[in-house]
Amino acid sequence: MKTYLKLNNEVLNRYSLTGELELDKDHDATSHYFLEYVNPKLRNFNTIEEKIRNLVEEGYYEKEFIELYEMEFIKKMYDKANRYNFRFPSFMSASKFYDSYAMKSRDGQEILEKYEDRIVIIALYLAQGDKELAERAVEAMMEAYQPATPTALNSGKNARGELVSCFKLTMDDSMNSIAENIGYCLELSRLGGGVGVNLTDLRPLGDPIKGILNRASGVIPVAKLLENSFSYSNQLGQRNGSGVAYLNIFHADIENFISAKKPNADDKIRLATLSTGIIIPSIFFELMKRDEDIVLFSPYDIYNEYGKRMSEISMTEMYQELLRNSNIRQIKSLNARKLYTEVKKAQFESGYPFEIFDDNVNEVHPLKNIGRVKMSNLCTEILQVQETSNITDQDQPNEYGLDVSCNLGSIDIHAASKVQDFGKLVDTSMRLLTNVSTMTNIKNVPSVSKANQLMHSVGLGAMNLHGHLVTQGILYGSKDSIDFIDCFMEAMNYYSLKSSMEIAKERGETFYRYEDSDYASGVYFDQYVNREDEEVSPTVLKALGNIPIITKHMWQALKKDVMRYGVFNSYRLATAPTGSISYIRSCTASIAPCTERVEIRDYADSRTIYPMPHLSNDNAHLYVEAYDVNPYDMIDLYAAAQKHVDQGISMTLYVTDQWTTEQLAKIYIYAWMRGIKSVYYVRQRLQTLEECVACQI
Amino acid sequence: MSNLTYEAVNWNKPTSELAQVFWDQQWKQIWFPEEIAVSKDIKQWQDFDHQETYKKVLAGLTLLDTVQTNIGMNQIVAHVSDMQEKAVLTVFGSFEAIHAKSYSYIFTTLCTNSEIDELFEWVKNNEFLQYKANKISEIYNNIEVGNAESLWKAMYASVMLESFLFYSGFFYPLYLGGQGILRNSAEVISLILRDESIHGVAVGFFAQNLFKQFSLEKQDELKVWSYEVLLDLYQNELNYTNDVYAKTGLSTDVIAYIRYNANKALMNVGFDAMFPEEEVNPIVMNGIRNEGSTYDFFSQKGSSYAKAKVAPITDETFHFNR
Repeated sequence: MKTYLKLNNEVLNRYSLTGELELDKDHDATSHYFLEYVNPKLRNFNTIEEKIRNLVEEGYYEKEFIELYEMEFIKKMYDKANRYNFRFPSFMSASKFYDSYAMKSRDGQEILEKYEDRIVIIALYLAQGDKELAERAVEAMMEAYQPATPTALNSGKNARGELVSCFKLTMDDSMNSIAENIGYCLELSRLGGGVGVNLTDLRPLGDPIKGILNRASGVIPVAKLLENSFSYSNQLGQRNGSGVAYLNIFHADIENFISAKKPNADDKIRLATLSTGIIIPSIFFELMKRDEDIVLFSPYDIYNEYGKRMSEISMTEMYQELLRNSNIRQIKSLNARKLYTEVKKAQFESGYPFEIFDDNVNEVHPLKNIGRVKMSNLCTEILQVQETSNITDQDQPNEYGLDVSCNLGSIDIHAASKVQDFGKLVDTSMRLLTNVSTMTNIKNVPSVSKANQLMHSVGLGAMNLHGHLVTQGILYGSKDSIDFIDCFMEAMNYYSLKSSMEIAKERGETFYRYEDSDYASGVYFDQYVNREDEEVSPTVLKALGNIPIITKHMWQALKKDVMRYGVFNSYRLATAPTGSISYIRSCTASIAPCTERVEIRDYADSRTIYPMPHLSNDNAHLYVEAYDVNPYDMIDLYAAAQKHVDQGISMTLYVTDQWTTEQLAKIYIYAWMRGIKSVYYVRQRLQTLEECVACQI
Repeated sequence: MSNLTYEAVNWNKPTSELAQVFWDQQWKQIWFPEEIAVSKDIKQWQDFDHQETYKKVLAGLTLLDTVQTNIGMNQIVAHVSDMQEKAVLTVFGSFEAIHAKSYSYIFTTLCTNSEIDELFEWVKNNEFLQYKANKISEIYNNIEVGNAESLWKAMYASVMLESFLFYSGFFYPLYLGGQGILRNSAEVISLILRDESIHGVAVGFFAQNLFKQFSLEKQDELKVWSYEVLLDLYQNELNYTNDVYAKTGLSTDVIAYIRYNANKALMNVGFDAMFPEEEVNPIVMNGIRNEGSTYDFFSQKGSSYAKAKVAPITDETFHFNR
């Protein structure tokens, strides 16, 4: 048995009996990990020059970007990185880095990179020869910025995957489009992407084909095709492809779609590995509130009658009109509350479907005059406009619309509160993300590649909120915590917009149809320039550290600049759930509460015990676990953050098996009322028998 | 035709303390082996050094679960008088059948047919395995109608089986799974273990209620009998472990784990622990934490989803006191 695994597991030796953690064991595990595993495998080089030269010659690093810099400069970057004296703070962070991120020799026997090597290479690669940016990138990444996994993992390597991994596609109601999009899914899945596909525009089961009734098979068989495509096309068998299908709740196939994830569904229709999400317009909640029936429609009728796809209309605005129009078949009528109870049942049993609150997304969408946001991605934080491609017969040219690829990065909130210049940190992050977008060309999916060239969308997010709050003695969900995230996200919004304006100014270029956006009209700034600046408590002020509080005057000045110079990135902010990257940096995930004070994490490689960052036997009470946080407080916190985020925030809800479907419905309704845009998984903690018996006796 | 009066089970009135709790918890945990992608273990399995031990461990567990399905639960159900307890135990029996089948599922996925046949032959011929199956079955088969003492003994045997004897087998998959070896098979085992721990607690609880009805002298007599049975089984477990685990060098760790679980089994029936507290391999200990380890959305099924409790949405649902 490996000593380091044993030591790591010993953190919990006495935990179940006394509640005391043996945190020293984790440090011991980390040192043993280096002694027994890392150091013996690490290839040693005499000088940095030798390292770089050998790794380029052996074909591990791409030559081109290295040649953009003089060797002296590269050495300087290594010095800079090494001066931080980085040490992995936990066994989890070290093992995650060396297992999954550090470059290894082709036979897997040698480790070729340490943490600092990876950081310097990412910086040099993404800076594209811009020395100032390269230097700033090393600084930002050693301090508080973390690119998303595909960028962190692949930058600079010769044998590499793509730098982005998140895609959204729209499928149209034609065999050409279905076939074309399945082809895209195979391609994107091969590149390691998570793909979202909107099925809302497909005609439902039993609809006519070429005017003959009862011919269409509906969305479920298409979803099955997608599922099979993703599981066929994996990255050299390392990880299964993954995808999500979205459907509007007013689509006639919605009932089958909801139950398709249930573990006991018929095998022919069961979606075992494909994730599902539903789009819910506000009118649904209103009908449910009044306890009325809802009518399901066919997108086929809507297109024939209005020349618009179901995903292109606002159901909330059009619902009454659709009911009045006799050319629109009312395919089924069912009680809204009962339908939503079915959704909740499915969520208890499978965690799916995700929910996107259509009007919450589109009402505040800064590009609303350009188009609607119709769907989200695999983690429900990407919310961008799309335009359906017209896929024609093979002898005609296709007219490509806009689909989405998004590259993400996250700022470690705790570390960010300590950096000297927060604005500079955000600006560096934005520039690195922007470069990822300009360096990316997904040529086999023209709608994605076209949109990327036109839109330059990125998604900067945050992580380690809970970890930071614990260091500040602030309870997650308290008023201080909500005020803190409100200020923090506003600062992210302000500086990312400022940065995107600067980039537009420097390049003399804005994103496509910027002039139709709420930025150009200045409407976007209404929420900021007309309000009064509010005081925050000393606790919040201290927690913010070096992060400035953004005043009305700062916004007014930025508004002027934005309206004058434009904005380069169509979308800037999105907060991902952050799995692996938060482990490497020993952060808590995203802005979520921790799920366990001490996580027991099963990866393919091993079972790892991960005490939350900064956890000690003294502050354990501040690490309230997600299942014990009042869900309404948590939603308030996400709502405060959401106000400042142009896209979405991945939000998982946590319940115990004591909850009923009604209680679950209630927190979703609350989330919708508070302007939350999307809900990711529902996670459930089963009570143990000891707990059940304890509350009975 | 006989003239017996049959009584219907009435769940509207609790007749047995906690029966409802055990019932609910067991159903909430329902699972099927096919939900876990054991096939992902195939690659590791091919290079795995101690296939023999692993297979034997699982084959041994299959036998015990078979005994528990076919004899144990059935016999106890037949003689327990409370209708709700009968229902709960019948459900437990069904889960035992799922368990016994899930070992086969692992075999089918990882082994060839001839290997599997050999293994079932081995089960028939291993003296230590046969000894424990015989010992437990004998107690089950000795229940006499109307004899509470014999019923209590059967319940005790059942707890010994589920909270103690299984664990020499559970050790190995947990030990390996915690180190990333054959993780999916280990997940099947941890789901089985999650059920067994309910069974141990529940049957132990029913046994305790029965035990209270005995006279003090009878209680003392039964205690002596119990510790004797335990010691006898423990002796046999030592031999079994040395036999099966010989090549892995893990016997000492397994035996410490067996003692730990023997103590737990005794506590389930309300008796004092017999062995002094000692350190148990931490990887295995963490493998049995039931809280549902942190879920990896991109991996397998995970063990933390369950049946929903349905309640209608009402006007109240739209009111918030905030």
